[in-house]
Amino acid sequence: MMTISFDSVGLSFGAQRLFDSLHATLPSGQITVVTGQNGSGKSTFLQLAAKFIAPDTGKVVAAEDGSILQKDAFRSRLAMVTPEWNLYARLTAEENLRFFLGLRGMELSAEEIRVLWERVELKWEDTRIPLAGKLSTGMRQRVKLAVLLAVEADVWILDEPCANLDASGWEIVLRAARQAASEGRLILWATNDPREEAAADAVIHLPWN
Amino acid sequence: MQSSIFHGIKLVFRKEFLAGMRCKAAWAAIFMFALTTLSCVSLALQGAVLEPKLQAALFWMVLFFSSMTGMDRCFAEEEMSGTFLPLRLYGAAQAVLFGKMLYSFFLLLVLALFISILFFILLDVGSVSLPEFLAVALAGVLGLSGAGTFLAALTTGAGVKSGLFSVLMLPVILPVFLPAIFLTGRVFGGDSMPFSHLGGMLLYDLLLMVGGSVLFDYFWYEE
Amino acid sequence: MKYLSYLIPMLTVLTCYLVFAVVPPAEGLGELVRIAFFHIPLAWLSVLAFLMSAWWSAAYLRSGSMRQDALSACSAKLGFFAVLLATVSGAMFSKLTWGSYWNWDPRQTTIFVLILIYGAYLTLRAALPNPRKRARTSAVYSLFSCLTVPFLVFIIPRLYFSLHPTPVLNGDGHVDMEPVMLATLLLALLDATLVYVWLLFHAVAKEDPHEP
Repeated sequence: MMTISFDSVGLSFGAQRLFDSLHATLPSGQITVVTGQNGSGKSTFLQLAAKFIAPDTGKVVAAEDGSILQKDAFRSRLAMVTPEWNLYARLTAEENLRFFLGLRGMELSAEEIRVLWERVELKWEDTRIPLAGKLSTGMRQRVKLAVLLAVEADVWILDEPCANLDASGWEIVLRAARQAASEGRLILWATNDPREEAAADAVIHLPWN
Repeated sequence: MQSSIFHGIKLVFRKEFLAGMRCKAAWAAIFMFALTTLSCVSLALQGAVLEPKLQAALFWMVLFFSSMTGMDRCFAEEEMSGTFLPLRLYGAAQAVLFGKMLYSFFLLLVLALFISILFFILLDVGSVSLPEFLAVALAGVLGLSGAGTFLAALTTGAGVKSGLFSVLMLPVILPVFLPAIFLTGRVFGGDSMPFSHLGGMLLYDLLLMVGGSVLFDYFWYEE
Repeated sequence: MKYLSYLIPMLTVLTCYLVFAVVPPAEGLGELVRIAFFHIPLAWLSVLAFLMSAWWSAAYLRSGSMRQDALSACSAKLGFFAVLLATVSGAMFSKLTWGSYWNWDPRQTTIFVLILIYGAYLTLRAALPNPRKRARTSAVYSLFSCLTVPFLVFIIPRLYFSLHPTPVLNGDGHVDMEPVMLATLLLALLDATLVYVWLLFHAVAKEDPHEP
């Protein structure tokens, strides 16, 4: 059982106070959706949860069965899909996938990779021949999803994961998140789409103040 | 755990190498920069004969500034193209640092070879003891790539980038730079080389890498 | 802190009185010796501030407290001023006694490297807009630049010939200075250190009124 808890978290950007004594507990085994208008701090909330940034006051704690996880241990259990991150434009999709998996000490057989590309509905030749920089935005998003599915992380942090995806891509994300939650993973999902909100087990509305 | 770090280093190096080979422009820019500065020096001298000490200083200055143009990209490019975040998410600090360091070392080695050949031809360096020259060049390149890779990482997130890298680099690399010029001067002059200096350089190279390695964790897993 | 505000002016006046009225002209250097009583404490401060800045950098990396970062930054700023003044006073002394402003004497080289490190550290700070990122990155750089210290202390003196007088306290523990000069110098060093401490904590307290 993993949790990420926000304990009276405060954060400002310059003069703008984004959060003030924010309390939240995100448990594993469910999808927690974060909603809010543009500029309400959704992405910042996710970055805090991922422990990529530290709050000004209060703290964000990741714990497993009551014992606190250190930063590097927590990071090795985490996978993210955000609009800010890109694939290496000069590697092919498969080289990207193998690189990120390899960094986590994982290696997949050719067959496992073929199955993975099928899961995200990408054509095999599109993943091996063109460099990732030449793929369409939607296809790159699918490659990022493939990385997410393959690393089998315990914590998923998804920032608008369905952006640039068509209806079938949308289905893939939703199905994968549901299954991951039922397997006991912690899913944190930022979105403004009411259909995605409907799939949530819990919803956090921003702004907090 | 040990094997996974070596595996990670190999992966990062391979990634850098593949991406580097597919970007001819980056290589071309570095080598053309080296060629431009060298020919500037050579043209300005108009065949005048330089003292070995001055030759050595010029050699290391060309190598230093050419390497600056090559190395400051090694993290800045990740940041610009949006791959810094996933690299930080999936990659362990030491694997990333040493993988990139290995690639910088390789890049600078090729660059140093290129500059040396041109330098020997254009500036008419007398007969030198090649093993001694290579030993000094290797020790210098090791320090440059060790400190350079680490400091390039520190410039990520900086608003002003151009020049910052060289500013950070110079004070830290002087302990490699000064003995390297001193020793290369002796080699160019046909004098014997005091090996205690070379040992000192290598020791400092090692110190830079160990220090960088310890501090990099604080940088990489920052909040 | 309050006592310091009274003690420092008194000590400064006393030191100035000793330097200009009591210390006799030195053999060979004449009246110029008085520059040394400003130059040596400034040089001492630039080294002290550098080491303290690194110390607070390490403390910041351990605790993450922004106050440590402010102390480290402030120490570096004071050190930067000290190192500039030390360089200028040293160059003046050098021109008047040895005939040239600069000759890459080991200690000049050392202080020059210090200027470069301070400059690099402060430039790095100015270039990083995010306060936490700035704190962490500059702390890491500050500690990394400390790796040059063994080189400055052990290697440079072997590479370059020195004109500087041997240290006041020689290797064999023998003090090579007139008692009145030594007392004045020690007093000047103490005064400079207290000024540094006072300025540092004063500036940091002003920056963050919530901290005690």
